[in-house]
Amino acid sequence: MAELRCEAVTAAYGERAVLGGVDLVVPEGTLTAILGASGSGKTTLLRVIMGFLRAERGRVLVGGTVVAEGGGVHLPPEKRAVGYVAQEGALYPHLRVGQNVAFGLPRAERKDSARIGEMLELVGLPADYAGRRAHELSGGEQRRVALARALAPRPRLVLLDEPFSGLDASLRVETREAVLRALADAKTTAVLVTHDQAEALSMGREVAVLRAGSLVQTSAPTTLYRTPADLDVARFVGEAVVLPGDARAGHVRCALGDLALVDPAVAGIVHTVIRPEQIRLGRTDGAQGPDRAGHTEPAEPSGPAEPSGPAGPAGAPARAGRVLSRTYYGPDVLLHVDLNGHVIAARSFSHDAPDVGDLVTLDVSGPVVAFPVQPGDPLAPES
Amino acid sequence: MGRSRDTADRAPRGLVLVCVVVAAIVVAPVAVTMVQALQGGVSAAATSIRASSSLTLLLHTALVAVVATPVCGVIGVAAAWFLERSNVPGRRVWTLLVVAPLVVPLFVTSYAYATLGASLTGFLGAVGIIAFSYYPIVFLLAAASLRVMDPALEETARSLGLGAWETFRRVVLPQLRPALYGGLLLVALDALVEFDAFVAFKFQTFTLSIYAQYQLSFSASGAAALSMFSVVLCVVILVVESKLRGDANYTRISHGVRRQTARYALGRATPAVLLGLGALVTVSLGIPMGMLIYWFTQSSSAALSSASTSLQYLWPATLTSVLLGLGSAVVAIVLALPMAILAVRYKGRVPTILERSVYLSFALPDLVGAIALAYAASHLVHVLYGSVALLVLAEAMLFVPFAVVALRSTLGLIEPALEDSARSLGLGPLRTLWRVTVPLARPGLAAAGVLVFAFALGDLSTAQVLLPPSMYTLGTSFWANSRTVAYAAAAPYAAVLVVLSLVLTYVLMSRFGKVRAVEGA
Repeated sequence: MAELRCEAVTAAYGERAVLGGVDLVVPEGTLTAILGASGSGKTTLLRVIMGFLRAERGRVLVGGTVVAEGGGVHLPPEKRAVGYVAQEGALYPHLRVGQNVAFGLPRAERKDSARIGEMLELVGLPADYAGRRAHELSGGEQRRVALARALAPRPRLVLLDEPFSGLDASLRVETREAVLRALADAKTTAVLVTHDQAEALSMGREVAVLRAGSLVQTSAPTTLYRTPADLDVARFVGEAVVLPGDARAGHVRCALGDLALVDPAVAGIVHTVIRPEQIRLGRTDGAQGPDRAGHTEPAEPSGPAEPSGPAGPAGAPARAGRVLSRTYYGPDVLLHVDLNGHVIAARSFSHDAPDVGDLVTLDVSGPVVAFPVQPGDPLAPES
Repeated sequence: MGRSRDTADRAPRGLVLVCVVVAAIVVAPVAVTMVQALQGGVSAAATSIRASSSLTLLLHTALVAVVATPVCGVIGVAAAWFLERSNVPGRRVWTLLVVAPLVVPLFVTSYAYATLGASLTGFLGAVGIIAFSYYPIVFLLAAASLRVMDPALEETARSLGLGAWETFRRVVLPQLRPALYGGLLLVALDALVEFDAFVAFKFQTFTLSIYAQYQLSFSASGAAALSMFSVVLCVVILVVESKLRGDANYTRISHGVRRQTARYALGRATPAVLLGLGALVTVSLGIPMGMLIYWFTQSSSAALSSASTSLQYLWPATLTSVLLGLGSAVVAIVLALPMAILAVRYKGRVPTILERSVYLSFALPDLVGAIALAYAASHLVHVLYGSVALLVLAEAMLFVPFAVVALRSTLGLIEPALEDSARSLGLGPLRTLWRVTVPLARPGLAAAGVLVFAFALGDLSTAQVLLPPSMYTLGTSFWANSRTVAYAAAAPYAAVLVVLSLVLTYVLMSRFGKVRAVEGA
C-alpha cells in the first residue's frame, strides 16, 4: 500500500497531446475517483501510471519511488506492482476462476487453495467458485474475480478502469459495494476511472475531474458537488438548473428569487446554479404544498421574474410556474416547469406530484453557487 | 472465438443439406479411390502395397510431416509475435515478405533449391522446403488471432508482474491455441500428400512412390491402393487434432477496448530480430528468387533461342492460368461459404463432422484425386470428362479447406444479432446471407478468394492430369521446360507466376488488415 503522486504529467499519442500536466495525489489507503467524459484522457492517465505509455514530462511516484519520469526513468509495467482491473474484467478464458485469482502469485503459491479461497471471500464470493470457468460467472462476479486477481499479489496500488460498465443497475450497486469493502479490507490505495458521476461521488474519498487532459478540480465529493470549480464542472457532476442572475453582497437575484450564495465574494452578472433537489414545489390552489410546511403566503401568478420585495434571507418569496412535462421514475418524478420563459427542472416525490398543466410554486432551499460570466458569453455586459 | 448461437439452436435443414452435398463432393474422390483400390480384389491391392516398399516410404513421409510441422509452428508463431507485438522496424514490409512464400509455387522453390546444389536435397531438404514454404499458414492465422485478442489480457498479466516471455507463455500462447492447431493441421495434412515440393528432390516420399506407380504401370488401382495409407493418416491426424483442441475453443468473455496492445520495445535485441527475419525471408523467398534471376541471365546467352520461342507461349499460358485460378476461387468460395457458416454459427455433432469432412480433401495426393475425378466423370457425368470445368472443380475442391479457414475467421466476428435483426425485418435466410452476411464478410471472402487463386496458380499435378491436351498453363509450361533442363526457357513462366503471386500477397495482406473493421461493426 502506498501513496500515488503524479507531478505535472504530460503524455501524447504521436503528435496529439492527451494529457497536459496532471497533478494528482492519492493518499495511502484511499480511493480517488477520476471522473471525465469520454476522450478526456482518463484511460491515457491510467496507462501512464501503469507503464504502458511513456510520460513526456513530469513524474509518477508510487510510495515515494519514481516509476516514470519524462525523458528519464520508465519502469516497465511488470516492475511497478500496480494492479489493474480492466473494463470487463479480462479474465483468462483458458483458466478456471481459482487459477485466474492465483495468476500473479509466485509458482509455489499458485496451488494454495486456502489463499485463493481467502481472496475470493475478500471480494464476497464463495471459495468454491475457484473451480468454475470464467464464462460461467455473471458480469458482476467476473469483475470481482478480476479484483481478487489484482489484489492477490498485494500490489502497492490498484487501478480500476470503468469496472462497472455494462452491469445493470442493481448489479452495479451490489458489485460497487463488494469492491469498496474489499478495497477497504485490503487497505489498498486505489484509483477508479469512470464517466459516471454517481459512481465517482459515491465511491471516491476524493473525486478528481478530468477535462481535456487536465484535472480541473480535485476535492471531496460533497465539496465538489456543492462548490464546483466552474460552470462546466457544476453541470458535469450532477443535474443543474442554470439561470442568469445578478450577484451582490452574498446574494444573487434570479428568476427563482433572491438566493443566498455559498461564496459571498462573487459579484456581478453570473450564471446561478441550482440543484433540482434544492427546488421545492408547492400547490397554488391554496392548499399547502407537500414540501412547504409553514409557508402559507399565496403564490403569485406567473408574472415578471423580477423579485418584488427587498432581498430577504434564505426564505425568498416563491414564484409560480406551469408544469410542462413529467417523467415518472417510481419513487420520484422529474418535472419541467415553465417559470416565465425559463425551463426549471425539479424533483418531487411521486405520490403527490403535480400533473402536467398544474400551476406550482417554486422556492429554493439552501445557498447556491454562481459563476461570473466570461467575456464572450451572451450574458456578458457590453464593454 | 466465434460467437455461436445458443447450443439449443439447431442448424436449419436447408443449410445442413447444402453442406452434406458439399461434403459429398469433396469426399467423392476418396470414395472413388477406395473403389479403384479394391477393383482388382483385396489380394491385388495387398500385393501392390507390398511390392512398393510402402512402409519405408510411409515412414519417410510421416517423418517429414512430424519434423516440419512443429518447425512451421515455431517459425509462424514467432514471426507473428514479433510483427504484432514488438516494435521491430519495417513491420508492414516484413509482414508482406513473410507471407509471400505461401503463394510462390512450390515446384519453383523446389527447382531453385535443387539446382543450387545436391547438398540441400534429401531428408533435411524435404523438411526445410515444407517448413519454409508452409509456415505462412501458421503465421497468418496466429497474426490474425493476435490482432483481435483483448489487449487487457496481456496488460493485466504485465500489471501482475509478468515479463514478455512469461506473458507470452502463460497468456498469449494459450489464447493462440485454436489458431495454432488449425494452422498445424493444414500444414501436416498438406505435407503428407505434397508432391510438387519434392519433384526436384531425390528424396523418396510416399507420394512420389504413388506417382511412380502410376507412371510406371499406369495402374490406377495400384496407386489407389497405396493412397489408402494417406487416407488413414489423414483421418488419424484429424482425430488427434480434435482431441488436442479439446476445449481450446474458448468463449471470448470480454471484448475489451478496441485499441492496439502496447508493443514491447526490443531495444538491444533489435539487430538480432532483424537478422532472424532477414534469414527467414532469404531462405524462403530470397534464394528461390535469386535462382530465378540467375536463370534469366542465362537465357540472354546460352539458351536465347529456346527462351524466345517459349515467350510466344507466355501470354496464352498466363491467360489460361489466371482464368483457371479465378474459376477455382469462385467455385471454392461457393463450396466453402455454407460450411463456414455452419461451423461458426452452430455447435454439435453434425456441424462438426461436416466441417471436418472438408479436410479429407487433403487425404489423397493431388494426382490420385485428379485421376479419381476423371474416372468418376467418365463413368457418371460424361459431359464433364476432359473439360476445363472438371479441372476448375478439382482445383476448387483441393483448396476448399483454406477457403473455409479464411471465411471462418471473419464470419466468427460478425454478431449473429445482425443476421437476426435482418430476419426480423422480413428477410429470408438467403436474402439475409446476400444483404448482411456477405457484405460484412467481404474481407474474409477476399482472403479466401486470393488464397485459392494463388494456390490454383501454383498447382501442377492436377493440371497435368485434367488439363485438356490442347491447353497449357504457366505451371505445366514451366514443368515441361524444366524437365528437359531448359531452365532458361522455364524461367519466364516461373517469373510470371512469382510476380502474380507477389501481387496477390499484397492484395491478401491489405484485406487482412481490414478484418478488424468488421469486428467493430
